Amino acid sequence: MSLMTMIVKMSEGLGKTCAIFFLTLLFSLPLGMIVALLRMSKVKVVSTITRFFITVIRGTPLMLQLLAVTYGPYYLFRANVSRNKLIPVVIAFSINYAAYFAEIYRGGIESISIGQYEAAEVLGYSKFQTFMRIILPQVIKRIMPSVTNEVVTLVKDTSMAFTVSYQEMFTIGKQIANSQTSFMPFVVAGVFYYIFNAIVDYLMGRIEKSLDYYR
Amino acid sequence: MKKTFAAILVIVMIFSLSAVALADDGKVFIMGIDPEYPPFSYLGDDGEYTGFDVEVCQAVCDYLGWKMEIFGVNWDEKLVQLDSLECDCVWSGMTILDSMKEAGYVISEPYYDNTQVLVVKEDSGLASSADLEGKIVAVQLGTSGEALLNGDLADLAATFGNIVTCDSFLKCFTELEGNAVDAVFVDLPVAASYAANHDGLLIIDEQLGAEQYGIAFRSGDAELCAQVEEAIQALVENGTYAEIASKSEYVDIVNNLLFLNANESAA
Repeated sequence: MSLMTMIVKMSEGLGKTCAIFFLTLLFSLPLGMIVALLRMSKVKVVSTITRFFITVIRGTPLMLQLLAVTYGPYYLFRANVSRNKLIPVVIAFSINYAAYFAEIYRGGIESISIGQYEAAEVLGYSKFQTFMRIILPQVIKRIMPSVTNEVVTLVKDTSMAFTVSYQEMFTIGKQIANSQTSFMPFVVAGVFYYIFNAIVDYLMGRIEKSLDYYR
Repeated sequence: MKKTFAAILVIVMIFSLSAVALADDGKVFIMGIDPEYPPFSYLGDDGEYTGFDVEVCQAVCDYLGWKMEIFGVNWDEKLVQLDSLECDCVWSGMTILDSMKEAGYVISEPYYDNTQVLVVKEDSGLASSADLEGKIVAVQLGTSGEALLNGDLADLAATFGNIVTCDSFLKCFTELEGNAVDAVFVDLPVAASYAANHDGLLIIDEQLGAEQYGIAFRSGDAELCAQVEEAIQALVENGTYAEIASKSEYVDIVNNLLFLNANESAA
């Protein structure tokens, strides 16, 4: 198999890799905010449960969570295993990343001084307005580097979808490596991930820069 | 001065350590297995690796006075792991492929006649490979089944709706039982052993692709291969081999063991 065929074959799987990446971001970024707000809830029960949820998600491997979401329903209830593996994969990734994003959001929100809330109250802002117009814009600026970190990790973590037989780029690479007894597909995969992340890095850098006002 | 002294000490230490390692006569033979491949190699009920290949290898090592260690390989990386000295052989129901010989690996005499079969659910109504047109078939990555579907059986594979590769045969069967795929393409002994323990599965009575199992060694290890082969022959002659094969766990494979049957026909 020529290098070109190899690259073409693996690019076909790249679409599926991108599907995991974009769908996970789409669901986990907002979900993370919900989790963060629940975690900071003044109702003790809610914050304790959320805290427990976060420790479970962060304390167990993503690979295990993928297996649990994909095959768990079958082993527990003899339910059918999903034919479209993208669904369980995106569910597992979104839950996992939401837990991490939640903690990043929380760190950002708690870093804003209490004085700003008081000032907003004096100026007649409602709680919702204070959060949306004053707090959140500052939080986003502060957490961008940490979010970029997670997003870059996500690109590489997509390769884990292999454990549940989702035929993304790295799985195809492994198939080729195996049938050709060649190491080349892994090199190609490495280059693909690097380029993907270089683009992510550039875009996140641009966003960070556009948020660079007040300086 | 101190640093030089320390450096000399370190060097002396390394040398004495390697001298100790060399002085140890007992050769360590690391057997590379797929730990999820019953009945040839698997984790037994007692938590130790067992299986037909493991037992034979243990007998070979006992015979030669070697110390056996088991290394569970990642099946689709097995040859890379063999090359990187993580194990001394791959011996685990491994199908001999021409591509291995072309790549220079030393392969032992074949010891087992194998065929590939399709496993479906009993209630699926599927009864032959022709019925699988447009259906989804699961295969374990890195197995000869996968190689067959890309090679000799490519015409059949083209009629399938889709081929899903899993990283273990157990996942293939979970996908089948969970209705995510319609059939699993797998080695006959593995299919027989799994179907014996799980209800509702049907092995389609069509033997696809004839192949043989062998042991793979690194290129340049021809001598090691010869030693192991001789030991196996000795075990065949003194009856140990037949004794292992007569265990009830191996009832599905005993008829296809080449050394035993050759011996019987000669006798």
